[in-house]
Amino acid sequence: MRIKPQYSSERGFTLFAYVFMTLLALVCILPCIHVAAKSISGGTLVVGGQIFLFPKQIQFDTMGYILKKTAFFNCLKNTIIVTVLGTFISMFTTITTAYPLSKPSLRGRRVIVLLYVFSMVFFGGIVPAYMVVNTLGLLDTYWALILPFAIIQFNMFVVKSYFEGIPESIEEAAYIDGAGDVQTLTMIVLPMSTPIIATVSLLYAVNYWNNYFHAMMYTSSSSMKTLQVYLYDTIENGQALLENLYGGAFGSTVGQSLVNITTGGIVAAAVTLSIIPIILVYPFVQRYLIQGITIGSVKG
Amino acid sequence: MKKLAIVLMVMTCAFSLFAAGAKETAATGELKGPGKVTLTRLGYNAGFDVNKNYMVPIIEDVTGYKVEYFELPAQNADEKLMMEVASGKEYDLLNLSVDQWRTLVGSGALLPLNDLLEKYGKDILAGNSKETWAALSDDNGNILGVPYMYPYDTEVSNFMIVRMDLVRAAGINEIPTTLDGFYDMLVQLKRYYGDRYIILAGPYRNAANGSNSLSFPQIVSSAFGIYNDWMVDEKGNVQYMSEHERFPELVSFLAKCAREGLFDPDWAANTTSSVTEKFASGKAIIASSDRNLAQASIPALSTSHGLGPDDFGFISALEGADGTCKYMESTSIGKVTAILKKSKNAADAVNWMNTKIQNQLYINIGVEGIHFNYDAAGEIAPINPIFADERGDSFYYLDVTDADVFKTEWPSRIRKSEAQWLAFDAATMKTNANRPQIFVENKFAYMPAAESFARYNTTLLNSLNDFVLQVMAGTRGVSDIPTYIRDWKNLGGEDVRKELAAYLATK
Repeated sequence: MRIKPQYSSERGFTLFAYVFMTLLALVCILPCIHVAAKSISGGTLVVGGQIFLFPKQIQFDTMGYILKKTAFFNCLKNTIIVTVLGTFISMFTTITTAYPLSKPSLRGRRVIVLLYVFSMVFFGGIVPAYMVVNTLGLLDTYWALILPFAIIQFNMFVVKSYFEGIPESIEEAAYIDGAGDVQTLTMIVLPMSTPIIATVSLLYAVNYWNNYFHAMMYTSSSSMKTLQVYLYDTIENGQALLENLYGGAFGSTVGQSLVNITTGGIVAAAVTLSIIPIILVYPFVQRYLIQGITIGSVKG
Repeated sequence: MKKLAIVLMVMTCAFSLFAAGAKETAATGELKGPGKVTLTRLGYNAGFDVNKNYMVPIIEDVTGYKVEYFELPAQNADEKLMMEVASGKEYDLLNLSVDQWRTLVGSGALLPLNDLLEKYGKDILAGNSKETWAALSDDNGNILGVPYMYPYDTEVSNFMIVRMDLVRAAGINEIPTTLDGFYDMLVQLKRYYGDRYIILAGPYRNAANGSNSLSFPQIVSSAFGIYNDWMVDEKGNVQYMSEHERFPELVSFLAKCAREGLFDPDWAANTTSSVTEKFASGKAIIASSDRNLAQASIPALSTSHGLGPDDFGFISALEGADGTCKYMESTSIGKVTAILKKSKNAADAVNWMNTKIQNQLYINIGVEGIHFNYDAAGEIAPINPIFADERGDSFYYLDVTDADVFKTEWPSRIRKSEAQWLAFDAATMKTNANRPQIFVENKFAYMPAAESFARYNTTLLNSLNDFVLQVMAGTRGVSDIPTYIRDWKNLGGEDVRKELAAYLATK
């Protein structure tokens, strides 16, 4: 393929863009590499601030400590349950709300849309929300982390806009062939809407995965902690965790593994382990995330 | 900020509503007995799974009670606590900080424990002093919580840790005990090493104390007779640190050291982690420290620089040229465990705590010959690593202790770490043995809940810390002290003073 010749000013701009974007990418990626390097580096070097990008005196004692001695797996399990179950429920409520609202023939459509817009703009506040969750007996359950987000109005409007863009003639053809509303939705509309379904699912999943504040407010027992709450707690309590180990001995009289486990190392290992699931999933969903941004910008 | 203020305001309203209702709720005082009830206990954030910890079955075996443990979050703990209580959660026990307890006392949500303690908590009552019970009672004599007393009355918790290998190389062989000796040491180190090392890294503000700690070394202010933010002068008047006659001298000394490059240039920006990092990496010769910094940095330096116990020195409270040295006693109520009026198992909660206190040594320290031995001096010497593996987390499950007995048991918990023990022995135990007269009684250790104190004191302390840092940085000077004191009064200083003076008058 031949590259079109560029004017010198264009070349200059291209070069600048490359340098700028490279620097920007480095700003984003370097802290991650630094934290990952700390998580598997020798404790004395971590405490001494001697780790930058490459791990030194590689050890997995800190990772082992996080995996075996803390509730990492339980918190990961909770987060996965909330994310998967929540995304399914949210998509169900979003689609079943957006589809009827996308039909001009729906009676009272304007009022219903107005109610959604109103509740999107005016949030009752955390205290009333907490009272509702408490009164319904949902505190300290998975439902407390799912039901308040069963539908996010903005996502619903994005899906509604997409449905409105589907030619009516296609649905009419389905009706003529004897399909009912549910059949038309599930067999005609949804297969034609996979990009928006994938995108909005991803938006919901990211919202559930990253939800810290509500998980912190609505759960109290350690068995219900999600990964985000676990991370914050670990960062805050790194010093206390360390204090209770048989630490603080001179190198000659204690196993190297305990010298390796340090406050900074514990925090770095917890952060590194918690982003591994996202890193594994990201390549498969990246395309939809970009689509989502585009859809949002055009239709939102 | 505005949003946060609104949220807090709404929470306060909700809380008040609950409190009004809670006052009418009477709790049952009937004992159901071990095995017949599952107690619920809400505590601070631990960082580990508090229900799956090895301590849970140990406590269950001893007491016979099954307990479900809940945690407050690490962030917004106070707000979450208020929400939980306001929404009517029926925890049996609340393990609280003193400030949290004071807030709940004001709401009327806590159950008076006098009768229950008389009936089921005799060991709890006997294990703590009258002063402590008075501090945990309201004006009508209702006991509204049980105490966990800080287990060491005279700890020099803020000291300095010194790299003796570097100090010796600079021709200094002794750890200074006076302010002049300390200054001379810093100057000599600066002269010898120039900018190769940070001479003194600091401040070290214990993460656990957060904003409640000072931004300058207390072992330096001790030489000026300044030992706390609130003090009582010789005439019995309550005075703030900045009103002390030698406060100008203190800040001048700190500013001089900073100006001469004897202190870390990043002093104002340093955090607990950065001070630890600077000392542990060998960049600093001396660091303002507590036991935690020693525990983190000594193993690191011993591994990376091959240092042994003799290569570390510890500077305790310094004396002024006139022999002045004052350091405040660490006597204080560390935690309070309270029972909500809504609790349906109040009698069992008290009974559970009483059984724990009866088995205090076993639960917190372990079994002789397995977890510890008694040394020649009769002190408890932990057996490592089983002590840390099987009793290391017991601190989290402490609600109340027999205070005097626990004072003899607690040092073993420090002793499990060689580095902590080295620091504790040098800074605290030797000071206690050689200079016990330096410790000043904390006159406000048992002060009950006070509204203005709770509302303004953290702001006042932050303002004090900021002012000292500004003087050290050279942006303000001693001549600004009157202006600072005027601002201090506007921040509620006089209101707090009145409360403290009123309390002092009752003693």
